[in-house]
Order: sequence, then structure tokens, then C-alpha cells
Amino acid sequence: MNYMPGTASLIDDIDKKHLVLLRDGRTLIGFLRSIDQFANLVFHQTVERIHVGKKFGDIPRGIFIVRGENVVLLGEIDVDKLCDNVLQQVSIEEILEEQRLQQQAKQKTEKAKVTALKDRGLSIPKADNLDEY
Amino acid sequence: MTSPFSNSQYPIYLHLLLLLRFSSLDEDCTLEKEEGLVEEEDEIDQFNDDTFGDGAIDDDWQEEHKRLAELEERKNDGLGGLGLGGLGMGGMGGGDSSTVQLPPPASREGGGGDLAESLAMLILGADPAIASVGGPAGSGDRSTGLPPPPSMPQQHHHPSQLPSHHQLTPSGLPPGPLHPSLLSYQQHQHLLRRGGAPMQQMNSHNIWENNMGFGPVSVTPGLITQMEDSPLMSIIKEVGLPNRPPPVMSEDGRDFSERAPPPRSSSPVIGSPPVRAVPIGTPPKQPMSHIHHPTTVHVRAPVHHQHRYPPSFPERISPNTLLNMANSPLCRPPFPAGVGPVLSQIQRAQMLNSQVAGFPRGCQGPPLLPGGGGFRPFFGQPPPHRMGPHHNHVPCPIIRHNTTHLHPQHRRMLTQRMQSRGGYRGGRVGDWRSRDPYSNLMTQREKEWVAKIQMMQLQSTDPYLDDYYYQNYFEKMEKRQERDRDGVRKEHTTKLITPQVAKLEHTYRPVQFAGSLGKLTVSSVNNPRKMIDTVVTSRTDDEEKREKQVWNKRRQILYTVEKMYSLLLEVQDFEKRFMQTPEEQRETLLEQHKTHTLQLYASLKEKEWDDRVSDEQCLLIMSVRKGKRLISRLIPFLPPLQAATVVMGIARNLHALAKKDKQDQALCWLVEPVAVVISSLSSAALTDLLQELQGSEGQLSKVLQNKFGVTLLYLILSEGERMQSSDLNCQLMDDNRWTELVFSVTRELLNVPPSSLSPPLFTPPNLLSLFSRYVDRQRLELLQEKLQISALSR
Repeated sequence: MNYMPGTASLIDDIDKKHLVLLRDGRTLIGFLRSIDQFANLVFHQTVERIHVGKKFGDIPRGIFIVRGENVVLLGEIDVDKLCDNVLQQVSIEEILEEQRLQQQAKQKTEKAKVTALKDRGLSIPKADNLDEY
Repeated sequence: MTSPFSNSQYPIYLHLLLLLRFSSLDEDCTLEKEEGLVEEEDEIDQFNDDTFGDGAIDDDWQEEHKRLAELEERKNDGLGGLGLGGLGMGGMGGGDSSTVQLPPPASREGGGGDLAESLAMLILGADPAIASVGGPAGSGDRSTGLPPPPSMPQQHHHPSQLPSHHQLTPSGLPPGPLHPSLLSYQQHQHLLRRGGAPMQQMNSHNIWENNMGFGPVSVTPGLITQMEDSPLMSIIKEVGLPNRPPPVMSEDGRDFSERAPPPRSSSPVIGSPPVRAVPIGTPPKQPMSHIHHPTTVHVRAPVHHQHRYPPSFPERISPNTLLNMANSPLCRPPFPAGVGPVLSQIQRAQMLNSQVAGFPRGCQGPPLLPGGGGFRPFFGQPPPHRMGPHHNHVPCPIIRHNTTHLHPQHRRMLTQRMQSRGGYRGGRVGDWRSRDPYSNLMTQREKEWVAKIQMMQLQSTDPYLDDYYYQNYFEKMEKRQERDRDGVRKEHTTKLITPQVAKLEHTYRPVQFAGSLGKLTVSSVNNPRKMIDTVVTSRTDDEEKREKQVWNKRRQILYTVEKMYSLLLEVQDFEKRFMQTPEEQRETLLEQHKTHTLQLYASLKEKEWDDRVSDEQCLLIMSVRKGKRLISRLIPFLPPLQAATVVMGIARNLHALAKKDKQDQALCWLVEPVAVVISSLSSAALTDLLQELQGSEGQLSKVLQNKFGVTLLYLILSEGERMQSSDLNCQLMDDNRWTELVFSVTRELLNVPPSSLSPPLFTPPNLLSLFSRYVDRQRLELLQEKLQISALSR
């Protein structure tokens, strides 16, 4: 059913499995149940998928309500198409552990960079996660 | 818990999910499993049926053999009728169901005769018990037109007992002692021979009827007639259920305990779901139950242990088997029309069920596929059936004409795109969507609402301003197409219509009740409450000018007055200052003082004339309350001559001033200073003053309306009198002016209505004497009365 030809609307995406990337970097997968004019989304049977390298882990989250402004992108998942063989699913604990390690490594490199710069007399202000501030 | 989005096969997932979700429905789960198992058995059984002609269970053929053997013997005995009767009693339970089964065919005409006969044979032949009772009685029952429900229980009851019966029969029954039910086999065989239809068909029909409780299969009319007269028929008519009171059963006095096991409290097939308390034929309360009806043939047997009903069905045939056997004919097209509504009902139920319960049957799909059989086609129907309408929807996308001013070409393109996409997807998506119990949480109305909001945002009065690139792009495309097609297709050259959306009137007019103060305001998001109800009154320039002028004038007057006040205050303070200043500076001070006073007077007087106060100025100043006060304070400080002129001026303008002074009577302040002045006036001046006061015609009357005016008049008069009385050389009488004036005054006083004569501040005592000089006694008295001059005040 096409509501508005020529426009992009989420109405046609309702009750379909979607993958949404949020501004904080999270990836959610769920059935899009409801929308509104601000593109606030209601997800059902949501699963947060954490990717670390070639591995990924799914954390079931239940029902999610996402405020529209925090959505980076949103796309429908084709249920027919099988997952690619490249990615390997692991347990939640494992993926969280992997994620933690990844974060640790990142922080280390960041720190090293900062100290190196400091030694050379340069200081780059720490970029905040929020883009507005 | 498995991830809902695992890569496993969808149907299996669904199965698992539904299992998890509907774990409460253990019954169903087990049923599913059991059905899965049985499915294969089904095929074999059916095959057996086909091959061996009767209930495809091994035991059955033995039974069949026995039956046949016995019947062969009895055939010639002619015990048909009796046997029927007896057997009718005996095999009541089983027989009933079969009879019931048979009657439906019996009652309905139409259908092939062969079909009917085969059905009858199937029914009769399947079970000795049935056979005994079945044919005649059953048909009779049916012919009454009773719907299945009352008889359904017995039908469903029957199969559960049949297997048990069969179980026992091989073990316990010697061929010798006749089972009452067997007696009727004579008839059965008779029918069988008649029909000659394959048992399988009958069996399947039987089962189908048994389970479904639909009996639109017709039977040979002959069969009906044959059976009608049987006494059993009447009995069976009365008796709907197998668990009817004993009389039916014990009529024959046979003991069927050997033949039939007690009514089962549990299903005969091991592992099958427990016997249902609700017979299959009862209308489902929920769609779910209806779904399971076809599969659950087990019915809680009635609690009459006395009733022993030999199962007419082989033991191994489970309800599922029966169902499958029933289903297959269902799915076959050549089935009579009566099946139609049945199927749709099931379909409907299934659809509902799928919506509600997530289609438990669906999980059966893949595992059952190899089995083929009954289920698959059964369930295969609803989805394709449902797809139909779905397909219809996709090709026609809803185009909102009122809101979008899309280029028609654009619209067309998108329509095509949607069609192609939707057509491919629709087949699969619709099916999937129908199984999703959480679908359509967002109602159509809500979707439309969101769409409407989004469309509203697209509204534009100037599309070229709002969406320049869009418009241009499509223009170019149009041109390109036109070029390509060489303008053959005129439709593409349609003009771009940009609908102008009318601007809605959004102003909120608050409700106001007549005569009430203020407005009743209901505030909302679109209409935030007005805290201050400001009304803009737009004035024209002229009006504004005039108003400004008025204000300016007043301000000017006040300004003048205040300036004069400052001078006056200095003058007033002179004495104090004089005392304080040292000798040397006293002269300067004195001079200052003089200047001030002169200035004061100057501001009042006429520009040219020294001895006349400017009327205009006087009026202006006196029009203001402050000005009146000023004058009253000023006069004492003026030199006598100037003061006199001021008073003159007041008197002159009193008529005008009196009008303005009506409200607050501020002129009365002037009484004292004026009195002082008057007392110092010369006679000539006094006369002049009186003259001034009188002024033109009608002036005095106005003056008299004012308190001050009256007072002033009295003052003048009294002064004149005093002059006259005191000073003999008064020049007042020298010219007749004074006399005339007084005369006119008296005249006026007399004429003036008492209401308009305002009471004076005080009445000089010598007025009466004054008046007595000039007026006669009569008038004097009148005056006296009017003016309330007491004689004593003389």
C-alpha cells in the first residue's frame, strides 16, 4: 500500500524487520511496529547487535522506543536472504568481553596519541561524543 | 532462548516459537507431535484401506472375515429384521454413530447413488456394531433432519470406542456366540453387495462425517426406505447419543461387556492427547478450538460404563488419521458441494487462529510435506486463499491527490515501481504478515494520520520556491520523454498541476456569552490562552491630531499654571525671606518681589491692555482646577488695581467658568479674596463689576446657577448697600447704572426658577435692605422668600 508516492515514508516499513543505527553507535534489529511524524520508532522483539571484528553478539532487548532524532539510518532486513557467512555469532558474554577489550585497546591508543602530542607541545581537545556540544 | 532471528528455517522457527509461546497448550503440542507421527501411519493406513477394503487395521480384516462368515450363515435365516432390532439395541453406541452417519446421506437426496451406497457400505461395513444398528436406524434418525450436534457426541464418542472394541474382539470373541451387532450384518452385507463401492471411500467418508459432523453426503433413497420402518429407527430417533439410558441397550438383554470396553476416559492411542470433554461437534468457542477439532477426534466418552460400544474403527486409526482421511476427500475437487461451506469455515477458523495463535499448524508444514496427505492441502488452501486479496491490493497504490503536487509522471513512475516491487513481495509478505500476531498494532487510521501530517508538511503555496530542484528535475524529465517519444503520447505532456492548498482559518474566537464580562477561553495546543486581551484600536490621523491637540492644550495650561505657581510661591515666601535676608539685600529682594508680581499679572493680563485681564488666558487658567486655586492665591498679592482687574475678568467670564465649574465648585475658593477685593472697590468699579457680572442677556442666570456666582453677586450687592448706607456721598446713585443694574438683578432673581438658583455660600445681611430700596413690598416679600433672606438678618 503506497501512501505517498514520491515521498519517503516509514509507513510501508511497518511490521517489517529493520536494522537501525543510532547516534550513540548502537545497532538495533527489530520489527518496526509504530511510527510518528518525528520518526520516533517503536521496535518489537528488539535485539541489540554488537559487532567486534568478525564476531557479533545479539542481546535481546524486548520493546524499544527510539526517539527520532537519534536515528542515523534505518533499513529493512530481508528475512529471506541468509546472513552472510563472514560474520560469526557468539554468545553475549563473549561479545561483551570482546567489546570491552576493543574499547580498552582504543583508549590505550588514544592515550598514547595524546601523550605523544603533549610531548610535542600540541594539545587536541578531547572530542565529545555528543556532536552539538 | 533461541534468538528470534536465527538463521534457522523459518517454519521451524515458527514452530519453536509457537511452542514456546503456546506452551500452555500442551495438548496441542502433543497433538502436533502425534500427528506428525501418525501422518506417516496415515498413508500406510490409507493404503491399507485401499488394499484391504476395510479399516486398514490388521484386526479389522479378521473381524471382517468373522463378520462375513457369520453373515453368510445367517443370511439365510432371515433374521434381518430381528437382527436389526437386536443388534440395534446392542450396538447402540457404536451403531448410533454409524447410524447417525448414515442418516445424513439418507436424508439428503442428490449425490450419486453409488456414492450413497458406498457410504452406506462404508459405514455399515466398518463395524459390526454399526452395521447392526446403523443403516436403518441411522437413516431414520437423519431423516428427521436433526442436525449433528445432538448426534455428534455419539458420533465422536463412537470412534474412541471403536478401537477399543476392536482390540477386544480378536481376543475375546468366539465366532460362535453371536454378537448382537453381528446380527445386522445380514443387512450390512446386503447393502454392501448392493453398493459394491470400495470400502476405503466409505471409510473415509465415514470418518469424515464422524469427525466433522457434516453430513451432506447423500445416500441411496433405497436405503432410507429400507431402514425407515425398522423399529430401531424409532429408537434411534429418540436416542441421540450413544450413552442413552439402558433401556435401549438392554432391550436385547445382551451383554456387551465382552465386546465393548467401558467408555474410555483416556484416548485409546498411546501418547495422544487426553480425551476431550467437549465433543468434536460442538461449535468452537474460540477459533483455536475449532482448528483442533479436526485433529482431535478423541472425545471423552460418556461415563456410562454399562454402555459398551464396540469401536467401529480399527484401533490404530487415531483421530488424526481419521482427520487426514477426511481431509483428503475435502481437498479433492469432485466432492459434493456441501463440503464447500465446511471448508471455508475451517479456513476461516484457521485464518483466525493463525492471527490469534500463530498458526500452530503451520509448523507442520515442512515435516509433513513428505507425508503429503491430509494436512498439507488442508492448510495449503488458506494461505493461497488469502493471498488473493493481497495481490489485489498491491497493484493499486493509494495516491493522495489532495496533498501532493507531484508531477504526474513522477507519480506514474513510482506507481510502477511499487507494483513491481509489491507484486514480487506480496506473495511472501502477506503470508508472513498473516502469521505475525503482533502485526497491525498500528491501525490504518493511525497510519493515515501520520501520512496526513507528513503530507501537510509538503503543502506549499509556491512549489518553485519550496522545492525548486524537484520541479525542475521533473520538467526536464518530461521534456526528455517528450523528445524521446516524439510527442506521440499526449498524456505525458500534461501540464504540471500544483494544487494550491487553501490556508485554513486558524484563528480562534473565544466563546463569549452575551452580557458577561470577559470571554470564555478554552486553551489548547493550537490555541494557547490569551493572558491579556489586548484590543488594538486604530485611530485615524485626524482623530489623533485632535486628541493630541486637546492634550497639548491642557498640558500647556498646566504648564503655565505651574510656572505661575512657582512665581506665586516665591511671592508668598517673600516676606519670610525678607525677614531673613540682611539689610543690604532687602532692596534687591523687594525688587525681585515686585518683578514677580508683575510677572504674575502679566501672564494674566491682555497683551496690549494693562487694565484688562486676558479673557482667553483667564479662561484657560481657570478651566483648570489648579488654575483656580492659583488665582485665588494670587489675588491677595496683587496690587489693588491689578487685583480689581483680575476680579473683573473673573466676573466677566464667570458665565463660562460657571459651566465648567459645575462639578467641583472650585470657584468658591475665590470667594474670600474676591470679597476682599470687592470691599476695596470704588463705587464706580463696583458698578462696573456688577455690570460685568451681568454681562449680556442670560448671563446672569447662568451665573446664578453657580454658587460662587450667587455669592459674588451678593457680595457686590451688599457692598453696594453698605456703600449706600454708610456713605451718604456715595456716588453709587449718581448715575442710574447701579439702580438699573440692581433692578435687573432683582428682576432676574425673581424670574429665575428656584431650582436653578444655587444657594450662596453666605448671604450678606444687608441684602434685604438693599432690595427694599429698590423693590416694592410685594416683590420684596417674594425675594425674601426666594432668597430666604430672613428679616432678622437685617
